[in-house]
Amino acid sequence: MLQPAESTGAQLVLDVLADEGVEIVFGYPGGANMPLYDKLYAHSIEHVLVRHEAAAAFAAGGYARASGRVGVCFATSGPGATNLVTGLLDALMDSVPVVAVTGQVRTALMGTDGFQEADVTSIMGPVTKRSVCVRDVRDLERVLRAAFRVARGPRPGPVLVDVPSDILKAACPKMDPFAARPVAAAPEHPGDGAIDETIELIRNAKRPVAIVGGGARSANAVYLYRELVAMLELPHTATINGLGCATPGDPRFLGMLGMHGWKAANLAVNTADLVLALGMRFDDRVTGKPDKFARNAKIVHADVDASEFGKILPVAVALRGDLRQTLERLVRRLGREETMPRFSGWAAEAKALGGPLPADRAPHGELSATDVLDAFFAVAPDDTIVSTDVGQHQMWAAQRQRAIHPRNFLTSAGLGSMGFGLPAAIGAQFAHPERTVVAVCGDGGFQMSMAELATVRRHELPVKILLIDNRRLGMVRQWQELFYERRYSHTDLSDNPDFVTIASGYGIRGERIEDAGELRDALERFLGSREPALLHCACFPAENVWPLIPPGATVDDAMEAAPQTEAIVA
Amino acid sequence: MTLSLVMHDWRLLERIVGLTNRLGCAYTRVDVRAGEAHYHATIDFVGPPDALRRLDAQLSRLLNDDKEMSR
Repeated sequence: MLQPAESTGAQLVLDVLADEGVEIVFGYPGGANMPLYDKLYAHSIEHVLVRHEAAAAFAAGGYARASGRVGVCFATSGPGATNLVTGLLDALMDSVPVVAVTGQVRTALMGTDGFQEADVTSIMGPVTKRSVCVRDVRDLERVLRAAFRVARGPRPGPVLVDVPSDILKAACPKMDPFAARPVAAAPEHPGDGAIDETIELIRNAKRPVAIVGGGARSANAVYLYRELVAMLELPHTATINGLGCATPGDPRFLGMLGMHGWKAANLAVNTADLVLALGMRFDDRVTGKPDKFARNAKIVHADVDASEFGKILPVAVALRGDLRQTLERLVRRLGREETMPRFSGWAAEAKALGGPLPADRAPHGELSATDVLDAFFAVAPDDTIVSTDVGQHQMWAAQRQRAIHPRNFLTSAGLGSMGFGLPAAIGAQFAHPERTVVAVCGDGGFQMSMAELATVRRHELPVKILLIDNRRLGMVRQWQELFYERRYSHTDLSDNPDFVTIASGYGIRGERIEDAGELRDALERFLGSREPALLHCACFPAENVWPLIPPGATVDDAMEAAPQTEAIVA
Repeated sequence: MTLSLVMHDWRLLERIVGLTNRLGCAYTRVDVRAGEAHYHATIDFVGPPDALRRLDAQLSRLLNDDKEMSR
């Protein structure tokens, strides 16, 4: 029998969210989710009004990436919901826990092409772990609780809950905080046999290399990863999502792997006879041509998601389960070995396989993006959280970052979504109000989300924007130069607006530099206050990202400079 | 490849069809029957062996999430 009506669907949504530990929601109101926003008016959950729903999804992702907690976003029906698509797919690709709650037209209107009606659950199906429409208020709490369990893992990701407006208005029993509820199943771990096989392969290896990915961050296994590579004195590298997993200053860390990775990292993997792939998924930006990747190596693949095993490359041993438990077992077993295999000699050889990062030289006195980023990372506080947009600046930042933890370097890695940088930084700043948070953006990506300067201003967030402006869609321009015979089709942004004036319009201090000599002092001013700031770096436009392993190629084909050296600017 | 799948949400069939197409496979028979609390689907898939193996693995993941959402 239904208990006395003490609540509504909308109130229940907020109460369940609060009970799940949600303190902040990023969102945008509209017709269908007005009942939810009405209850939000007096609720303890903080709401951040973004200026476009896409930013709500990115900010929720940024919050989740920086904190390890579930990020939550709200949007209304139809266009509000569809604007979440990119941010939710970004969260899916990078295994980031996000719950989206969308308003839907009332159930009687569904299927009638009503105003702002869209088949949201179908649209969201391929971009989420699950997307569910709640048509009966009695299902609402169960579905929301399940959404949080599924979003958290075992492999984290986004879940969407679509709630028609009549369900949000419907009377229902108040949430019982003490009711018995399903709990997440205990994480799996690999059996002793697979651990023994791994130890045996390590014992017999001469040139093992570890590759760490974002799975170490998701599983809170970073300290165990550091312990493993330290006890074996292993050379190791990271995917872009695994950056920050290495102990800062570890001499055996070879830098980022992949298309724009460090030469030593790519050559070491190419030379290795054993690869320990830990919480990574052999993305094509890492492997290039898969059948030539780690061509001499046996692969031990540890991942929580069994569907990753053998997806790209055959593996010798699959360690299925929670990475923290996997590494705990591996470290414990190795600790019991009478003689510990150590690879310091090979690690030194691996390090010597590469040299410094190649870079294009700026014309005399002009500003180079790589110089800006070198200088920035040299002076930024150790615990700075850096988010990036997507493109050349992203790769330059990834090559140079000094993150002390993977939650300090936030980037749209799998999806590569421009417009990510600023809203992700906003989310990260809410997760860590005391920390320095810097969005490193290109001029293309920044213009996809710069309306969020209003969000920064409204909440007095001390978010910094380091704008690398080469007046081009630089990565596409680079590929046009190298692979499309310099036909610079629609990559020119030389009519960019005055970004300092735009920032000023939002009440945010901005400064523009274009001369290399201005850089140090400008960075000091930029980082020296607890206020939002924009540093607009007008860089020379012809700079390319090096090294570059062309798509579908191998480390043997890596390029460290353009084939011809004459002027190449469009 | 014939798979017998248990779906708690019948709309999952849409995801299965989409995933099948995305991996370059197809189906030649779909049989879905409603049970008391879930749906039994028997589906005959065709496609390259490697793609079918990946499809099988990804369907397992999808069905695990579906099961969790139903609790």
